[in-house]
Amino acid sequence: MIIKDNLLKRIRERRISLSMVMTGLVVCIVLAACIIAVTIFAYYYVNSTEQNAITNSDQAVSQVENMITNYTEDISGMMEMVQQSVKKTEEERNDFFENLISIRQDVEAITVHSEEGKLLACWSDGHELKEKTGDNLSYTKLEDDNLFISAPHVQNLFKEYYPWVVTFSQRMKAEDGKILQISMDIRFSNIASYVDNVGIGAHGYCFIADKEGNIVYHPQQQLIHSGLKSEQEDKVRDYRDGSHTFSGVIYTIRTLHNCEWRIVGVSYLDELVTVKVMDMVRVILSAVVLVILTTTLAGAVLARNFSKPAKQLAAAMRRFVREAESFEFYPVKGTEEIVALSDSFGHMVLQIQELMEKVRQEEITLRKTELNALQAQINPHFLYNTLDSIAWMCEVGRTEEAIEMVNALARLFRISISKGHELITVEKELEHAECYLKIQKFRYKSQFRYEFKVSESCLGYLCNKITLQPLIENAIVHGLDMSDEGKILIEVFEEDENIVMSVCDNGIGMTEDQCEEILQKDIHHKGGIGIKNVNDRVKIYFGEQYGLTISSELDEGTKVEIRMPKILEECYER
Amino acid sequence: MKGSRRIKIIGLFMIICLMIQLVSACGTSGESNKHKKMYVEVITKSTTSAYWKTTFAGANAAGTEYNLELSFDGPSNEEDYERQNQMIRDAIDRGVDAIVFSAIDYNANAEAINAAVEKGIKVVVIDSDVNSDLVSCRISTDNYKAGQMVGEAVLSGTEPSLQVGIVNFDKNSENGQKREKGFRDYVANNERVNIVSSINVNSTIEEAKAATIQMLKENPQINIVVTLNEWTSLGVGYAVQELKLKDKTRVVAFDSNVVSVGMLETGEVDALIVQNPYAMGYLGVEYAWMLLKGEKVKETHIDTTTTLITRENMYNPENQKVLFPFD
Repeated sequence: MIIKDNLLKRIRERRISLSMVMTGLVVCIVLAACIIAVTIFAYYYVNSTEQNAITNSDQAVSQVENMITNYTEDISGMMEMVQQSVKKTEEERNDFFENLISIRQDVEAITVHSEEGKLLACWSDGHELKEKTGDNLSYTKLEDDNLFISAPHVQNLFKEYYPWVVTFSQRMKAEDGKILQISMDIRFSNIASYVDNVGIGAHGYCFIADKEGNIVYHPQQQLIHSGLKSEQEDKVRDYRDGSHTFSGVIYTIRTLHNCEWRIVGVSYLDELVTVKVMDMVRVILSAVVLVILTTTLAGAVLARNFSKPAKQLAAAMRRFVREAESFEFYPVKGTEEIVALSDSFGHMVLQIQELMEKVRQEEITLRKTELNALQAQINPHFLYNTLDSIAWMCEVGRTEEAIEMVNALARLFRISISKGHELITVEKELEHAECYLKIQKFRYKSQFRYEFKVSESCLGYLCNKITLQPLIENAIVHGLDMSDEGKILIEVFEEDENIVMSVCDNGIGMTEDQCEEILQKDIHHKGGIGIKNVNDRVKIYFGEQYGLTISSELDEGTKVEIRMPKILEECYER
Repeated sequence: MKGSRRIKIIGLFMIICLMIQLVSACGTSGESNKHKKMYVEVITKSTTSAYWKTTFAGANAAGTEYNLELSFDGPSNEEDYERQNQMIRDAIDRGVDAIVFSAIDYNANAEAINAAVEKGIKVVVIDSDVNSDLVSCRISTDNYKAGQMVGEAVLSGTEPSLQVGIVNFDKNSENGQKREKGFRDYVANNERVNIVSSINVNSTIEEAKAATIQMLKENPQINIVVTLNEWTSLGVGYAVQELKLKDKTRVVAFDSNVVSVGMLETGEVDALIVQNPYAMGYLGVEYAWMLLKGEKVKETHIDTTTTLITRENMYNPENQKVLFPFD
C-alpha cells in the first residue's frame, strides 16, 4: 500500500528513477532486437522451409511416378509374353495363362477380343464368366498398335465379382492374319496402394489425375465422391509439371511418360511452416519474459547500489542549497562513481563553506574600513586647524586667501562624501588631493612644492576615494624634511591594463622594515586614515594583485604607488 | 534493513523459477495432449453386410485423419437390440469417449443411450435414429426423401397400371417406416398406382424371400415390388428369380452389394436406391471428434446423399464408384 502510494506520488510528480529508465530501456532494446530477429528469422525460415516442403513434395511425387512407371513397364513386359504365347498351341497357351494368373495375384483376367470387339477367350482365377456381357468395360476399341492403359474401372466379366481394375490392351496380328486385341485387367489396388502410402508432411497426399484434370484415383476418392471433400481439379489441369504454390497449398505435378496420367502431390504449407514458426515465436516470447524479469532484477540491484545513493546525494545537495552554512555532509556509500561523486561533493561543500566564511569576513572588514575612512575624513583636528588658519587669515585681512581656503575645504568634504559612493573618478580624486594640498600649503607656509603629472586618458576611470590624500598626508607629515624645501610629485598614468597613481616625495625616506610596517599596521595619525586602510580597500575592491607598493631610500625619498584596474564608470554601475 | 533485502532477493528468485517452469510447461503441455488418443466406439446394426462394411471404411478414413482409436461392433442379427444395449453398456464400462451408434429399435435402444450420455460419453447417431433427446448429432439418409425417390423410380415406368407390393422390414425401425411413408405420399395421388399388398418381414434374406413368394402368389396382378433395405432386397430378388417373374415384375430395391448388382444386371432387380454409408461412417466419426474437441456443432441433423441406380446408368464412371466399394 505504501509502495503503491509512493509510486503514484512519483508518477504524479513525473519523476522517473534511473533504474526505471534502465529497465525500460533494456526491455525496449530487447523487444526491438527480438522483433527484428524474429522477423528476419521468420522470413528466412519460412523461405527455406517452403523450399524444403517443395523439395519433399517433389521427392514424394517422383517416388510415386517411378513406382508406377516401373509397374506399368513390368506389365507391358508381361504383355509381350502374353502376345507371344497367344501364337502358341492352345494347350501351351492355356498352361501359360493359368500359370501366369495364379502366380501374378494382380492379374485379374486376360481377355482376347476380335477386331469387332467380340470376346474370343478369357482366362481368370476361376471366376465364372457371365452369360450376357452387355457393356464389357474391359474392352476399348484401339486405333493403333500402341499399348493402351485405361482409366480404373469396375470389371464386369464375372458373376458376383466386381474388382476395380486398370486394363492394359494392345492389338496384335494372329497367325491367320486376323487382328486380335489382347487385354489384361490388372487389379488397381496395387497402384492405389503406392499412392495411398505416400504422405507429404502430416496431411499431404498424392493422387492421380488425367490430362483433363479428372481424378483417376484419389486416396480419399470416396470422400470426394460423397461430396465431403473437393479437389482443385482445374488447378491440376492448368498447372504444368513442377511445383506450384496456391493459397498455402503446394501442388507438385508430374506426368507419367508412358500413359496419360499425372501424379499430383498436395501438401500444406500451414502445417509445415506456420506451426514451426509459432513454436519459435513461443520460445522467443518466453525469452523476452525472462529478459524482462532479469532486467527488473538488475534494475532493483542497480537501484540499491546506484539510484538510491544517487538519490541520497541529490537530497543532500538540496539540503545544502537550503541551508548551506549549517549543512553537515555525511559521505554516501555505493558504486565507485557514487563514492567519487560523494567525495567531490564533500570537498566542494567544505570549500564553499570556507569561501562563504571568507567573504563574510571581508564584508565585515570592508564595512569597517569604509567607516574608518569616513570617520577619518571628518577628522576634527584637521578641521579645527584649518578653521583656525582661516580665522587667522581673516584677522590679518588676507581675505582672498581665506576665501580660497574655505572653497578648498568645502570641495574637499564634498568629494569625501561623494553621495556615499566608495568609487569616484580619478579626476575627482585628483581634485580632492589638490584641495588637500592647497589647504596644507597655506598651513605649512609654503614649505613644500607640489606637482601633478596626469595622463589625460586616465581621468575617466574609477578609483577608491580618499586614496591619494592619506599618502600625501603621510608624505607631508613624515616624509618631508622641513629644513629643505620639500617636493611632492603626484603622477597618474596607464600601465598595461592598469592605472597607476603614485605619490613621490624627496624626504627622509624609510627603511624596508618601515615600509612593511606601514602596510601592516593600522597607524592612526591624529585620527587620519592609515596607508593600510587604503591598501585594504583597494585590495578588497579589485583583488589581491592590486594595491600599494612602497619603494623608499633613506635621505632620498619615498614613492608610493597604487595599482588599480581600468574600470569605467558605466561598467562599474553595471 | 539487511534482512528484508535478503527476503526480497529470495522472493524475486522464486518468482523467476516459477516463471521458467510455467514457460517450459507451456511448451510441453501441447505435446502431452497429443499422446492421449480419444477412443471412439462404432456400434452398428450388423457387421457383415456390404452396407456396414462401407460405413466402417468411411469411419476408418476419419479415424485415421483425426488420429482416433476406433473399434467396431454390432450384433450378428439385425433385430437383436438387446445385444446392442449390452454393447453400449460394455462401451460405458470400457470408458470410451464417444459412441457412433445406429439403432436397431427406435425406442428400445433409448435407455442405454441415455445412460451413456449421462456418463459423459458423446453420442452421434448414424443411419437409424433412437428416441433420445441427449444425442448430440444425427447423420443419416433423409429416409422420407429416399422413399420419395423410390416412388419416382416406380412412376418412371411405362406400364399403364402399377400394381404395387411393398416388402418392408421391422416395423419398429424408424427408417423403414419413414421410407414407406415417403413412398406412399409420393404415389398417393397417382391414378396408375394401386398398392395391392404391404408386408413387414424380419430383416433376413430367407424370410423376405418366403414372404415375397407368398405375396406374389396371393396377388399375381402385382407388377411392381418395392423393398426398402439391403436384406429384403436380396430376398425379393431371389423370390423373383425363383418364380421366373423377372420380365413381368419390376423391382425397386434398396442399397447395393455384389448380389443385388448382379440381379440388376440380369433383370431380377430393376432399380436400386443407393445410400451413402461411407459418408455416414466418415461424418459420424468426424462429428464425434468435433464434439470431443469441444467444438460447437452447428447442425444437429445432417442428411447424406442417395442415388438412384438403374441398369442403364450403373456403369457410368460416377455410379461405379457408388456401387462398388473400393477395396
